[in-house]
Amino acid sequence: MSNRIVVAGVALAALTFLPLSHAQIGAPPPTSPGIDGWGRTITPPAKDQKPAPAPVHDISGIWDPPNGVGNQVLGAYSMPEDGKPEHQLPYTKEGLEALKETKPTNGVRSVLPAETNDPVIPCDPQGFPRSDLHELRTTQILQTPQKVVILYQFNKIWRVIWTDGRELPKDPEPRWFGYSVGKWADDYTFVVETIGMDERTWVDRAGRPHSDQLRVEERFHRVDLNHLELTVTINDPKMYTRPWNAMENFRMNLLQPAFDVHEFVCSPSEFTEYNKLLGNSISERGNK
Amino acid sequence: MRTRLVECGIVLSVLLTVSLLAAQGEKPGSPASTLPELDGWGRPLASPAKDHKPGPAPKHDLSGIWDAPSPAGVQPLGAMAFPDDGKPGHQPPYTPEGLEALKLTKPSNGLRSVLPTEANDPVLSCNPQGFPREDLYELRTTQILQTPQSMMFLYTYGRIWRVIWTDGRELPKDPEPRWFGYSIGKWVDDYTFVVETTGTDERTWIDRAGRPHSAELRVEERFHRVDSDELELTVTIIDPKMYSQPWVALDKFPLHLQPPNTDVHEMLCSPSEFAEYNKLLGNSISERPQ
Repeated sequence: MSNRIVVAGVALAALTFLPLSHAQIGAPPPTSPGIDGWGRTITPPAKDQKPAPAPVHDISGIWDPPNGVGNQVLGAYSMPEDGKPEHQLPYTKEGLEALKETKPTNGVRSVLPAETNDPVIPCDPQGFPRSDLHELRTTQILQTPQKVVILYQFNKIWRVIWTDGRELPKDPEPRWFGYSVGKWADDYTFVVETIGMDERTWVDRAGRPHSDQLRVEERFHRVDLNHLELTVTINDPKMYTRPWNAMENFRMNLLQPAFDVHEFVCSPSEFTEYNKLLGNSISERGNK
Repeated sequence: MRTRLVECGIVLSVLLTVSLLAAQGEKPGSPASTLPELDGWGRPLASPAKDHKPGPAPKHDLSGIWDAPSPAGVQPLGAMAFPDDGKPGHQPPYTPEGLEALKLTKPSNGLRSVLPTEANDPVLSCNPQGFPREDLYELRTTQILQTPQSMMFLYTYGRIWRVIWTDGRELPKDPEPRWFGYSIGKWVDDYTFVVETTGTDERTWIDRAGRPHSAELRVEERFHRVDSDELELTVTIIDPKMYSQPWVALDKFPLHLQPPNTDVHEMLCSPSEFAEYNKLLGNSISERPQ
């Protein structure tokens, strides 16, 4: 029995960090610390930076959650599935039933890797809001007159938030990343509403479920020149008795505009290769 | 073994046909319907005014949402200027090593196509297309945004973004390979933007027909702003290990400017969706008759 626990632990650790391109999760750059993919020295931010004033109506830039806090392997940043009572979500009965269907690789409900049905592991799209709530890394935001564009590091996905005044669609065909509109609530706060998300996605790595009634609100608050805070609220009356904050004031730091974002793309063949070379042998049952 | 061959053939042909048909549906001049075509938001697709005349090309400006007249960008037989159709002049100039590498790719389209279960096209199982295949297979509505340091490309297929640095940096020497490589670009005149890309991962195919490349691959893209509404893309493949001379994979491929509020359909590969299709439809179709 203890063999299998150790085996599972190693496999789980491997799965947590694997199945992506050679730019491994959290792995240092190829040459040495402080060197980017182009072989250039990464300039660290100046110390003792005094906060400079926030620009008005501007969240553009390359933003980085410090120290890997965006990885969120136990589930949504502010509500991880760690067993603590304050992190228990307000499930409806239907929500609890849907929760039982998800078999995550992390958190208190985690299963052995061979038993997981986490769609992201075999490289299904993360979808939204999981792109905020799992593996949120260096994120670039661009603004045009009609829209705000977000470029995620994980899977190099782009996402559009329309600011041209359109309304959310009524009963649209579901999309992995839904349909988003946004507007400025004040000079420094950009509020986004998203609906129409495909029900096959998980809300986060811990397998929290959602229905087609899910609405997500993001509030991007430009704190000052170098800092952005993101709050994500999940609103799904079918699954949860009340809205809950998946992220609260999640802080991101501004990087210099020439920053090289490491490539981070899911590859099914790479995962199969890993299993062949390493994974399968680890998970073989010990001889009885 | 045989059952899966038929099943995957149907899946693939359906997938390819569906993608071509979907593209056809957006073609200007398609048969008139009484209902306006709607985008994903339920809004009618905008069409240009009948008397619209293009204006002069803006300088140093590729920004906008660009679309190929469907289904031209799909390129199921391989790079548009060199489709794998057996016609003279459509065979890239392989070196002996290039021909050896070509034998290893088993595509599902073109002259060398194999039965689907024998195909080893990495994109079929949802591996990243990488570059330059992102230009040479399923090139659809593409958005270009310009910043002071870069050009950002947003592709439909895979919802992939790609960065081309314009801050004067040089290409990296011997970088760790990336699916989409490393790109720099500059304006060679007021209307022509030239991009160089290196460091592409050798696991990618150049196109759907399985043309190979080595780690030495360099790709040049020339974006020529013809006028206010049109862009032309030329893609040149330079890989002395695999090809005895450079060859032009896309030759002045036309892209037309779309309204700035254009909704780009979501196009993402999903391994579980493919598996589901096989379960529901593919497998039963392929069962042997008794």
